[in-house]
Amino acid sequence: MAGAGGFFHRFEHWRVSPVVAILIAILLFAIVPPTIFLVNASFHETLPDGSPGAFTTRFYQQLMAGKLFLPSLINTIIYACGSALIAIVIGTTQALIVERTNAPGRKLAFLAAIISLGVPHILYTVAWLLLLGRSGPVNDLLASIFQRPQVLDVYSLWGMMLIEGVGFVPLTFLLMSSVLRSTDASFEEAAMMSGSSPFGAFMRISLRMAFPALAGLTLLIFVKAFESFEVPALVGLAGNVSVLTTMIYQSSRQAGAANYGEAGAYSVCLVIILLGLMFWQNQLSKNAKRYQTITGKGFRPRVIDLGIWRFPASALLVCLFLCVTVVPVLMLAFTSFQPFYGGVSLEAFTRLSLENYEALLKPGSFRDSILNTLTLGTMTATLVVPFTALCAWLVVRRASGAWMLDQIASVPLVFPAIILSVAFLDVFVNMSLPLYGTLLSVILASSVRYLPYGMRYAFAGAMQIHSDLEEAATISGANKVKIFFRILMPLLAATLVSSWLMIFLLSVQAVSLPLLLVGPGSEVMAVTLFELWQNGQVTELAAMGVLWIMLMTCVSITFHMLTRRHQLTV
Amino acid sequence: MDKRQTKSLIFAGLLASLICATGAQAQDLSILTNRSPDRERLLIEGAKKEGQVVIYSAAIVNQALRPMAEAFMKKYPFVKLTYWRADTEEIVAKLSAEVRAKNVVADLVEGTGVGELAVETGLTVPYSTPATDELPEMYRDPRGNWASSRISYFGMAYNTKLVPPDQVPKTYDDLLDPKWKGKIAWRIGTSSGTPLFITTIRLSRGEDKAQEYFAKLSEQKIINFGSGSARTLVDRVIAGEIPIALNIFAHHPLISKAKGAPVNTVLLDPVPSTAGTMVVPKGVRHPHAAMLLADFILSKEGQEIFAKAEYFPVRPDVAPLETLAPVVPKRAGVQELFVGSEKLNRYYESSQKIWEERFR
Repeated sequence: MAGAGGFFHRFEHWRVSPVVAILIAILLFAIVPPTIFLVNASFHETLPDGSPGAFTTRFYQQLMAGKLFLPSLINTIIYACGSALIAIVIGTTQALIVERTNAPGRKLAFLAAIISLGVPHILYTVAWLLLLGRSGPVNDLLASIFQRPQVLDVYSLWGMMLIEGVGFVPLTFLLMSSVLRSTDASFEEAAMMSGSSPFGAFMRISLRMAFPALAGLTLLIFVKAFESFEVPALVGLAGNVSVLTTMIYQSSRQAGAANYGEAGAYSVCLVIILLGLMFWQNQLSKNAKRYQTITGKGFRPRVIDLGIWRFPASALLVCLFLCVTVVPVLMLAFTSFQPFYGGVSLEAFTRLSLENYEALLKPGSFRDSILNTLTLGTMTATLVVPFTALCAWLVVRRASGAWMLDQIASVPLVFPAIILSVAFLDVFVNMSLPLYGTLLSVILASSVRYLPYGMRYAFAGAMQIHSDLEEAATISGANKVKIFFRILMPLLAATLVSSWLMIFLLSVQAVSLPLLLVGPGSEVMAVTLFELWQNGQVTELAAMGVLWIMLMTCVSITFHMLTRRHQLTV
Repeated sequence: MDKRQTKSLIFAGLLASLICATGAQAQDLSILTNRSPDRERLLIEGAKKEGQVVIYSAAIVNQALRPMAEAFMKKYPFVKLTYWRADTEEIVAKLSAEVRAKNVVADLVEGTGVGELAVETGLTVPYSTPATDELPEMYRDPRGNWASSRISYFGMAYNTKLVPPDQVPKTYDDLLDPKWKGKIAWRIGTSSGTPLFITTIRLSRGEDKAQEYFAKLSEQKIINFGSGSARTLVDRVIAGEIPIALNIFAHHPLISKAKGAPVNTVLLDPVPSTAGTMVVPKGVRHPHAAMLLADFILSKEGQEIFAKAEYFPVRPDVAPLETLAPVVPKRAGVQELFVGSEKLNRYYESSQKIWEERFR
């Protein structure tokens, strides 16, 4: 490790470099106000007008004493583990085939994943419920086989895990392939020279090298499921499966009056659990140097020749795409042509109509909201991506104090979006800057919200870039700024481009966060979608969903073509 | 946007906030309770100076809010109306944050359940307009804190394929038949769901008899539906997942039935009704324009827009859509029990407790 010591020695001036301090300051500025709001809310009574009252610990006591807390916590853990497992297994398999084999047509999986990411979670859940619900085609089919009604009950814990897990597959796939893409072939080649089979070399070398990134990813999915809302609300509540987020939702909406004590207490507990998990993950990445694989020696990963098995591998990809994306989207499309949803039957095909689309496409229906939505996504992604790239680099290079960046940037992950929205409302409405109700306020809030995602992406990429390239540049006289823009950014380009698109797609479909932050004139489409869910019929919602998916697919394909032209594989 | 632009944007924002801070001054709110003969003239003069008005409303944008805004601006082209739509819970959260921060954007707030809650928590100022004189007594607040803008009737929805015509429950007591065990759903987590149902029973039967009824009803293992609006629950009934749903908006099944969906409404006696109410927030910035808008919403013209949007008008001289008329209790010959926001608010917590003890 003498070389590494020397490296750190030469980089000693990083310690006094203000970059980390500035970044930490920016992060704190974004994260502290909502955190204070949250902690305050959990320790104070909420007065009827929403202002904090006397100090109390009763919310925590209620939480611990409540007979529903423990079962809900257990449900939540089972649900989060199950969903993470499903997502990781399917997503990693997909990523492996795409990144490391010669299965034909594998690159199309990216497009497929990006299209799936464009399907808002709430629609996705609705589509699965239409499919697997009591009057859905799957149950109808099973009923005719087994001669008894309602074989499957999707309104159960397994139903929740399945829908949530499958919903996370595209995200897992994209993140995982960014990890696998940047592994060095030479290690595997060395293993194979020593007599290992390609598969064995892969399992023993590459998968292990990807371990810290994989652990980070698993944590991300786990936490995402932990704090997810749509599936617990739509599936869990209907089946009396209570998890913590739905408990928060119910308690924060009671009586319509503002009361965030219980929800705040829950969120504080969640932050603590998560900080523990992140500490553990940080320990893992302490050894990150062992996993660096992009060195000065060319880093394109080895492709495993599957021989005849490459066709089944492609078939598997197609199959996954069908199950994960096509079938639910088709279900939505079918529903969107119905005057009302009454299950899938021959009779239903006789009453196809366009009336839902006619109702939605009335002139002036979305006017500003499309532009607002695109601005929101573009600005959020453009703010988050370079910022997280810089943070991730500093963390990986262990610039002094940089570990804090990772910890702080992960905090927004644990705020349930409902609470984050209320907290940001409180921050913006009290600000002397006239940001309240503007689109800019939504952009800032969603940048904070999606920081952890950008961070995971950039981190996975940066971790695998060996410092020797930077050392070489330093010796040749380049300064830090130059190194960042001339070496790091180009090497990370593919990762950052995917990260940009992912954050774009996630931020435009967020509902709970902009719900309270938008004002007259700054409405975004996702909120309109949510309103349709609340007030419209499911058929109108499906029609709007189909239009939305088409719009997002256009955005994704345009993006894909642009990056292809510039030689970046997304 | 590059960094320099962002910087200049922030700077511009800072400047603008300074200007706003010096420009803000206490409003003369006397117009809110002015009932003098030249009220109309004063309103128009004041609104011309204010030039804009903002409404927060729970009404649906496409059918109700946008046509309302368009008609209003056609009549008063010198006022620019903008709206923000959300559910009552969000409206109250946003309103309370604005009033606390003395940064009030809304000039008029409209929604079900907004009324008494906002009044009691001191978020509103009273107002009085001759337009409310046209409304039936029970839809008015004698203290002038709120005025009703539209009415909702609640009933039971059932799937016509799953519930044979001769077995359809017709009364609250019919719901107790053991054959419906596990087949009835109601909405939880919203005041027009379980709290309204339980309050209705308590108000119509008295506490003791109501408790007896709930004891029996809890045997039915009612499905707690917490994952969406009343409309969504009706969709589940149509899809055949749930045979019977309680306390849904009585007109929703009729709209779907007209399209051929296997669903219908039953009005259980008494039929609970609630009102959408309008309040003026404390710290209102455009009081003249707000009053002009309130008057417009309560006018025949405004009420007709609501009626067209499938809401039930408050004015007796404006008829609801003919297709929806069957669920108006008066026409159906069923008793209406109006549970105003004041009553609903007063009974909310105790009704919620009954639900937690017996049905959770």
